[in-house]
Order: sequence, then C-alpha cells, then structure tokens
Amino acid sequence: MTEANYEYRSRRGKTAIWQAKLMLLIMLNLAQLWILSATIEAVLGEEYKQLYPLVIASLVCWLISLTNVFYWKSATK
Amino acid sequence: MSTNLSNIIAKVLSGEQDVRNKNVHNREFPFDRDQEAQVTRREFCNFLGLTSTAFLLGTVGFAAKSAYNAKNVRNFTPLKLDGAMKLERNSALNFRYPTVTDPALLIRANDGQYYAYDQKCTHLLCPVYYEKKTERIECPCHEAGFEAKTGNVIYGPPQRPLNRIVLEERSGEVWAIGVVTGGKEDDRS
Repeated sequence: MTEANYEYRSRRGKTAIWQAKLMLLIMLNLAQLWILSATIEAVLGEEYKQLYPLVIASLVCWLISLTNVFYWKSATK
Repeated sequence: MSTNLSNIIAKVLSGEQDVRNKNVHNREFPFDRDQEAQVTRREFCNFLGLTSTAFLLGTVGFAAKSAYNAKNVRNFTPLKLDGAMKLERNSALNFRYPTVTDPALLIRANDGQYYAYDQKCTHLLCPVYYEKKTERIECPCHEAGFEAKTGNVIYGPPQRPLNRIVLEERSGEVWAIGVVTGGKEDDRS
C-alpha cells in the first residue's frame, strides 16, 4: 500500500469513527431526555419506587457519554 | 473601462479582507466572521457531553426534590363542605382544599354518592369541570375526560388520574379529610 493510499484510508477511517461517536452520543442524549421526562412524570405521580432505576439509567448513559468524549480515540494517528 | 469596473467591484466585495489585511489584530487573529458559526465535530461532541451532564443533573435534581418532599408527611386539616348536603344529584360544587389556593371539585353523582377531586388537570393544570350531560369531568384546554366516580382518564392527553380528595360523612355533613395522589389507593380505608 502506498503512503498516499494509506493516509486516504486512515482519514476515511477516522471520519467513520467520529460519525459513530456522534451517533452514539446523540442516541444517549435522546435516551437521557426520555429518562428525564419519565422522572418528572414519576415525581408528579409520586411514584417514588421508579426514581432509583431512572437515576441509575441516566447515570449509566452519562458515564458512557463521558468515556465516549474523553477516552474513545481512533487507533490511527 | 470594463477592467476598472471589475476592479471596483472586486474592491467593494473584498472590503472586509482589505480591512483585515490593514489591521494588525486581524492578522494576528485571522478568524472570519462566517467561520465562527461553524462547529467542528469535536466541539459538537463536547456539547453533547455537556448536554448529557445537564440531563443527568436534571434527573438527579427532580429525584432528590421528590425524596425530600416524601419525607415531609403532609397533615391535612379536615374541612366541612358547606352546602354539600343541599347539592342536587348530577351536579357539582367548587371548594378549596387543602389550602385556600387549591381549587377542588365536589360532585354528587346520580346515585347520591359524593366524589371530590383536585380541580387541576394532570396534563397541564387547567381547571377541570363537571359535565352533566356526559356525567364526566372534562378539561376544556386539550379535550380530556375523566371518570366522575374514579377520576381515571377516559380520553385525552393526561397520563394520570385526577388527585382525589378523601371525603367522610360526619353527623350528616360532608367533610374533606385528605388528598390522595392520582392513581393511588387510599390508605385510610
């Protein structure tokens, strides 16, 4: 593989990784938005038992988002 | 002639670039106004990360406030409902409970039983009213309907039943003695 061809493939690979990161972040954000609305509904209905799973689910989404933003890097430089 | 005109047009159109070239600070900080509106993928990722944090804080905040409110057990002062015994069947009466700022609705059904509910719709807090023709509680804002005997949603956007006011008959008078959040069982009975 020539140097130029390698760089071209590498650049395309990075783009794909960034797109995948973005898509995952958007999906996590949408999930968290849904969780927030469910939390508000549970609070208004005084359904306290539902709150713990909702908070834990939001926390898990947030942790995945955090690792996505800070630690998931493309392998190629 | 045409060359001069072209030069003038080009000069006018590139006015901003000329200003930039002349000013020292523009040469040292070479960012165009149009480019400032553009967002890189990395910036957008960071923004989504911040949004995720905001959603988490919102969820935790609501849950914490709810947990705090749950600790404070509300004490309801019994209230005698004046005019309840004179209320005709299939009609309603407005009163305020548990505080003077909380509108409520007392209904006497066709079978003579009394039912009372918080007058605020569980969708967007619009005041509900008793419709005699249909014998339902209706919300005019978004066309929602509730059962008069249970407070359950029949149709419309609300997801939860109306908050029910617990009633008790004491020596021929009707008293309001508590509020049960929509959909929950009354633990007094």
